[in-house]
Amino acid sequence: MTATAERPQTTIFRRPRSTTGLWSWLTTVDHKRIGILYGYAAFTFFILGGIEALLLRIQLTQANSEFLTAGAYNALFTMHGTTMIFLFVMPVSSAFMNYLLPLLIGARDVAFPRLNALSWWIFFFGGIFLYSTFFFGTSLPPVGADGISGNLAAGGGPGSFNFLASSPDGGWFSYQPNAGPLYSPGTAMDYWALGLQMLGLASLVSAINFIVTVFNMRALGMRLLRMPVFAWMTTVVAFLLLFSLPIIAVALFMVAFDRQFGTVFFAATGGGDPILWQHLFWLFGHPEVYILVLPAMGIVSEVLPVFSRKPLFGYSAVVFAGAAIGFLGFGVWAHHMFASGITPVAQAAFGLATMIIAIPTGIKIFNWMGTMWGGRLKLNTPLLFAMGFVGMFTIGGLSGVTHSVVPSDWQQTDTYYIVAHFHYVLFGGAVFGLFAGLYYWFPKLTGRLMNDRWGKVHFWLMFIGFNLTFAPMHWLGLQGMVRRTWKYAPETGLEPWNVAVTVGAFTIALSIAVFMVNWWTSRRRGPKSGIDPWDARTVEWMTPSPTPEHNFTEPPVVTRLDHFWHLKYDEDEEGRPVRRPDADQLLERLEYEGYNPKSPIHLPNPSYFPLTTAMGLPLIFYGIIYHTSSWGKALIVLGALVMLASLIGWGMEPVEEPHVSHDQDDDDGDSADFEQAEADHV
Amino acid sequence: MSDLAHDAALSDHGEHESTGIENRKLGMWVFLSSEFLFFGALITNYLLYSNRGGFEGVYPSEIYDIPFTSVSSFVLLMSSLTMVLAHNAQSRHDQNGARTWLFATASLGAVFLGGQVFEFTEFIVIYDMTLSTNPAASAFFVLTGFHGAHVAIGVIMLLSLWGMSRRRGGLSDRQGLNLELVGLYWHFVDIIWIVIFTVVYLLSTPPT
Amino acid sequence: MSTEHTTDHPTPSQYWKIAVVLAVLTAIEVALFYINRELELGPLNAVLLISLALLKFVIVVGWYMHLRFEKSLLSRFFTAGFLLASGCYLVVLSALGIVVIRGG
Repeated sequence: MTATAERPQTTIFRRPRSTTGLWSWLTTVDHKRIGILYGYAAFTFFILGGIEALLLRIQLTQANSEFLTAGAYNALFTMHGTTMIFLFVMPVSSAFMNYLLPLLIGARDVAFPRLNALSWWIFFFGGIFLYSTFFFGTSLPPVGADGISGNLAAGGGPGSFNFLASSPDGGWFSYQPNAGPLYSPGTAMDYWALGLQMLGLASLVSAINFIVTVFNMRALGMRLLRMPVFAWMTTVVAFLLLFSLPIIAVALFMVAFDRQFGTVFFAATGGGDPILWQHLFWLFGHPEVYILVLPAMGIVSEVLPVFSRKPLFGYSAVVFAGAAIGFLGFGVWAHHMFASGITPVAQAAFGLATMIIAIPTGIKIFNWMGTMWGGRLKLNTPLLFAMGFVGMFTIGGLSGVTHSVVPSDWQQTDTYYIVAHFHYVLFGGAVFGLFAGLYYWFPKLTGRLMNDRWGKVHFWLMFIGFNLTFAPMHWLGLQGMVRRTWKYAPETGLEPWNVAVTVGAFTIALSIAVFMVNWWTSRRRGPKSGIDPWDARTVEWMTPSPTPEHNFTEPPVVTRLDHFWHLKYDEDEEGRPVRRPDADQLLERLEYEGYNPKSPIHLPNPSYFPLTTAMGLPLIFYGIIYHTSSWGKALIVLGALVMLASLIGWGMEPVEEPHVSHDQDDDDGDSADFEQAEADHV
Repeated sequence: MSDLAHDAALSDHGEHESTGIENRKLGMWVFLSSEFLFFGALITNYLLYSNRGGFEGVYPSEIYDIPFTSVSSFVLLMSSLTMVLAHNAQSRHDQNGARTWLFATASLGAVFLGGQVFEFTEFIVIYDMTLSTNPAASAFFVLTGFHGAHVAIGVIMLLSLWGMSRRRGGLSDRQGLNLELVGLYWHFVDIIWIVIFTVVYLLSTPPT
Repeated sequence: MSTEHTTDHPTPSQYWKIAVVLAVLTAIEVALFYINRELELGPLNAVLLISLALLKFVIVVGWYMHLRFEKSLLSRFFTAGFLLASGCYLVVLSALGIVVIRGG
């Protein structure tokens, strides 16, 4: 150990050593800390996206309302969608995947810890960059506009609330050429395109990391088909990200170039093809929706067996169905384009493919139901949210199947029926699943339990509020309420149900407030959970809670699926679980050994180069937006230099300096070995 | 030399890799598979616009200099040879040979880039075809421009390895793997050009 | 994990020979371009040129990138990316009328 400690030539390359305080968070490469950072950031954006939604709902409560200007309305629905998809659901899923993946496969960290930190910092700067549009973005009327309606008018049109109208307002899907340089001049949509570019890069890097981790870093005996379902869903999501993000990257470059450098990809007057944008966007956009929901499906597949006290029904089928959904997800994108003028053959092919994708989805739903059937259900909060997922996602899936019938879809397109569908699958589905996971894995994070009574209050408020908000949108849509339109006339008769929808939306907000208070107080004063509060089945519960920095003292040697469960339980003649007499001893031993490893455990060293590398990107992108000025050009050069210097530093910093888990008994956080090394050096 | 020994004693924390493939190598192959989707989109975009009639201004297919591009394609192809020779030398611990071939690869890459710059300049200045002329021109410049950017990044990585090898008297085994990975990247950029040369240049037809 | 390969590598002279093959294939491609200009080969031109390009592609990937001698997991990833890209983009090109699939 001491012989290999090498002092580098300059202190720039000294690996940081602190384990507490802000600097330790800025230089962390620990997957658990990175997961926590993603989680809190994502939740902050959830609140912001929620506020955007509430403002939209206030506007739509009354017919002919002019609470918001049309310009502000367009900006708010654009940012609501963009925020919820890219800044909430994706990063919060990332939080789970980062924290849990190594634990679920019995590893100490991911394959590339510094790259993992880089993903987080790129996401962090990307989110800030995107939201800085609220301060710096401009949204101007198109040249030659007569100022009649919507954001064509310089002031956003009539209405009292015009604040935020100069933010991106071309929809989260940014259809071209409407969101291009001619019809959406100003810088707002550039912030959108370049911000998304940054966020996509963060996820792509993460995807590569997770794939290598899953394939290469499983504990002994952890065959792929013994991995927990959440680890499998993480893998499928990583492949979806890997293959879909490059497509949107090209599309966003094309938009940015159209807006900034005068290319003619989508400008119809110059011969550009708007349909090309739709193909490229939805080639990414459809796999994206499976990226959004598969992690939550994975969570539900973990929670249901534990709280039904039965194994997951048909583990292999659930895994293969998840993989099938991922694969088929690349074959259905043009079902978002049925009303865009694609040929009848294309419509038929994509309609058929969309129907087919309902099959593996249905398999998963039946298997979840089969898991609960005949189980001894523990109706705690995680189970309630998981059951909510199954119910609400099924409803959303059914409305999705109605979209696959092309003539039916023509009626539904651009109405609130579509809004109802995707909120049922994304909110009733993904968000409910994510909350199940938060309550379930809270002990691993904090060593405490959340208050279950208030958890149930949260659930019921959210369940009622959610259904009150989105169920009426089905019939509002079929009655003709149009999407993305800032107001509707009183003669349409749409107002009464819109009032109900708004009441539901504020009920959701109340439920979130309940959750936040519960989270905050439980972190400090919740009852201690111990190592295995839920009598769980999978190996992440074989380490103490909160998780020690080094994860496992000894990585488990896995012998079968649900390895941990089978260490605790045998089966009697009828197949019923019988707790083994040494089970409690096992738990005590695991808890003790988890915090008291016999020899120092080496961990990946912290580093600040991921942070500095990521910092170069917003500089470059701000420079691109303002590249016509000399300081804009200077920013591009500066950003590139910062990145280049950081990457060189990254390559040159020593691979390993002594850094042991600080959960081991030590005064100042340094291992005894490191102090010896210090003493040995001249 | 002590740095080499330091590097050789450690290898990615000595963890076992379940597939038997080094983490970084697996990571590079995974990354390269995603690049098909990236360049595929750009090539699709080009194919969509390249001979769609009715645009104003000159089309790229009208002004290609096939002999010139054939030579620069040959140069890039040969750089794959020098790249693989560099890797071969490194794996035999022939540090001098590795450096020579690394530098040769970077040089050939730079020549290719020089050719691209020449071609672009010719198109813009002499034929008045710029990014904004029409969709076909936009598609051409963005496709070949992104390819060129990939080559440029490759040249930077090659020169970094060359520089590191010079500074330390050679590359360690760990750095040798990095050389192999840069090689994989470099060959990939070459095969993308193989596709582009055929699909964009040799199969070009005048607009309908 | 050492970087020494346990599988056999081609020797430098084999790499040179492969380079000659690649150069010859390129020469054939360029020659075809001019032949087509004179003789108007029609769709045969595209078939031949794409086949030659694919051949060069496979040679570089298989021997220079060493994929032929690596563990099959790597070829599976690489092929998956290639097939997915080809599949999706062929459908897009067909939908936009560039590639004509019968009935499309």
